[in-house]
Amino acid sequence: MPGLFEGFFARHRRGATLTVLVLVSLLCLTVANRAVVIKPKEIGLSAAGFFQKGFTGFFNWFGDTAGSIRQLREAREELNAARARLQEMDQVTREILELRRQNESLKDQLDFANILPPERIAAEVIARDTDNLFSTLTINKGSRHGVKKGMPVVAWQGDLEGLVGKVVLVGPGSSEVLPLYDPQCMVSARVDSTRDEGLVQGEGKDRGTLVMNYVKKIAKNKITYGDLVVTSGLGGLYPKGINVGRIRDITAPTYQTSLVLQVQPIIDFDRLEYLFLIGPEPESAVPEAGQQAAPATPGAK
Amino acid sequence: MNRDFRTIFFTVLIMAICILLQSTILGRIAIRGVRPDLALLVLIFVSMRRGAMVGQVSGFATGFLEDLMNVSPLGFHSLLRTVIGYVYGLLSGNVFIDPFLMPIILTVVATILKGILAGIVSAIFGLAASGFITFTGRLWIEVGYNGVIAPFLFAFLNLFKMFKQADKEGA
Repeated sequence: MPGLFEGFFARHRRGATLTVLVLVSLLCLTVANRAVVIKPKEIGLSAAGFFQKGFTGFFNWFGDTAGSIRQLREAREELNAARARLQEMDQVTREILELRRQNESLKDQLDFANILPPERIAAEVIARDTDNLFSTLTINKGSRHGVKKGMPVVAWQGDLEGLVGKVVLVGPGSSEVLPLYDPQCMVSARVDSTRDEGLVQGEGKDRGTLVMNYVKKIAKNKITYGDLVVTSGLGGLYPKGINVGRIRDITAPTYQTSLVLQVQPIIDFDRLEYLFLIGPEPESAVPEAGQQAAPATPGAK
Repeated sequence: MNRDFRTIFFTVLIMAICILLQSTILGRIAIRGVRPDLALLVLIFVSMRRGAMVGQVSGFATGFLEDLMNVSPLGFHSLLRTVIGYVYGLLSGNVFIDPFLMPIILTVVATILKGILAGIVSAIFGLAASGFITFTGRLWIEVGYNGVIAPFLFAFLNLFKMFKQADKEGA
């Protein structure tokens, strides 16, 4: 019997190997779609992150060296401009200090609780997905740096802070971020000007836009092109008030009871380099006896 | 057999470097976020030259490595690359590869095959690999990008003696 088996394998070596490899792949796919105790992906992510950091660092070094001469010249011009601007800022700072004093005084009068801002972890994008089939970003911070699965990710571009996505996989030294444009990414949001709520979902990298559903049709006349869409804080994952995008198109399908809004993300994902991971909201200061602290971000947990 | 193992080892090494390049530096020359799949081109070349056994094992090992690095579920890329490596390995010794046209044709077909397989696997396992499921513009950009690069990469890989045409494999 063993001889028969060996003979069969010898005759069909290629086909048997293919069958084994395909079966292993299918088994992995099946297991990977369920909750498993062993997490080989985290180990793989960590090892890959090491090499990706090296590659990014290596090529950045070349780019930085070539750019440093040009930067020096620009720096001199910027220095002169900065000196002039510094004088203006002096005046502005004095005004800000005065406004801050007034603000604090008004907050005291309104009995606002002293809420501490949530912790933020700065990170750099070191790689993107190896294939064009998925659309994740790899960042250089992992569980060692306090990153946790599900953390919201934001970035600054221009003068605006915008939502990037959320952490979906955490390794010891690097993590994977699911960007906003991915169809799996859903954000509870509201139109900033009218306060109408809806659900923002990605439409894939190909289109690059987001779609906002479940906005009541009655709001159609109030919402205008270019209106800002921000996170609503509902659902507990994303803190309230983070910029998501601007409305680019408004449609009211006759077969639906809600509007469909096309939203252009605030963030240009192709230019993304640095981002911030938002930690959980710290406990607010103990309110005075008999008073409930008014949370600044009711949706955040 | 020893030669096959050596070839598989170096193929996996080259493909791993390609994957690292794809996830880092090649992002700078991406067209609408789409990067060329250099690892796929290497797999096609090696499979065509060294047969189905080397092609499928190299494809499986590299795909598995890729799955460990990505958010894709384990087994996704390994399945895709195993099948492509096997299919192209079957053509080994039966197709004459000229320096220009055949690399383009082989690459275009392989990229489309990858898109179809990815769509099927995603549909069966309910994965959100949105990239090529609906045959969007992204697939065609990658088809074009891979096709343009293929003749040059094939010419470069031709320099390696290791990838010399294998004797016809027995079944």
